[in-house]
Amino acid sequence: MDLAKYTALFLEEATEHLVEMGRCLLVLEKTPDDGEAIAEVFRFAHGIKGMAASLEMDSITELAHALEDFMDRFRSRGCVDPVNGVPLLFQGLDGLERMVAVVRETGAAPPPDEALVAMFHDALARGEGEPPKKG
Amino acid sequence: MKTVLIADDASFMRQMIRDIIEPEGYEVVGEASDGVEVVEKFRELHPDLVMMDIVMPKRSGIDAVKAIKAEDPTAAVVMCSALGQETLVMEAIQAGARDFIVKPFKPDSVVSTLAKVVEKAE
Repeated sequence: MDLAKYTALFLEEATEHLVEMGRCLLVLEKTPDDGEAIAEVFRFAHGIKGMAASLEMDSITELAHALEDFMDRFRSRGCVDPVNGVPLLFQGLDGLERMVAVVRETGAAPPPDEALVAMFHDALARGEGEPPKKG
Repeated sequence: MKTVLIADDASFMRQMIRDIIEPEGYEVVGEASDGVEVVEKFRELHPDLVMMDIVMPKRSGIDAVKAIKAEDPTAAVVMCSALGQETLVMEAIQAGARDFIVKPFKPDSVVSTLAKVVEKAE
């Protein structure tokens, strides 16, 4: 595998995804039920996960996967939790931006951010983002 | 030489797939970056194989499979999935996809999956 070629492609696409993700999160701050923005954030997290996995950058894969799973809850619900969800999503975005910056600067995979991934896992375990129960 | 249409919203992934399959004798005749474009290009190009991501903008990979199979029930579609998409993969297979490959792609696995799909189609 031509790692340099794929790393360059990854940086270009991941950077675009992260810019768009930030734009969508700003929309969701104001309009938590914007379906298109919810779908886009999910898709960008998914895309970064896939590319990072292909480059065996496990730390990025793990964080993007956590963000994607969290976003999937909101897709089912049709609405993001503006109090608990959006701030955590912004933290996830910041985390991914930091990681991509490490790749840009060093060409190497960044160290994992276990605390941030744990925050997403804890939020999922607490049921945050679950659709409201009927009845 | 079997012709292939590659559909993924990430040019990174399209390039990676191309780099894996072209040396194995497959001809990439087209690329699509969303679920609407892949159906349009399928109609235009009639490839032997379609390699398609499950999550794409404008139209999901699963919906795109249904549309392609409605156009041509013999169409051979291989889904490209990522971690944690087992449910979506099963939906795609039920919609008519022949097989799937998982990211990160192992070149040997990609090649053997395509060979299996091509063999069944013949």
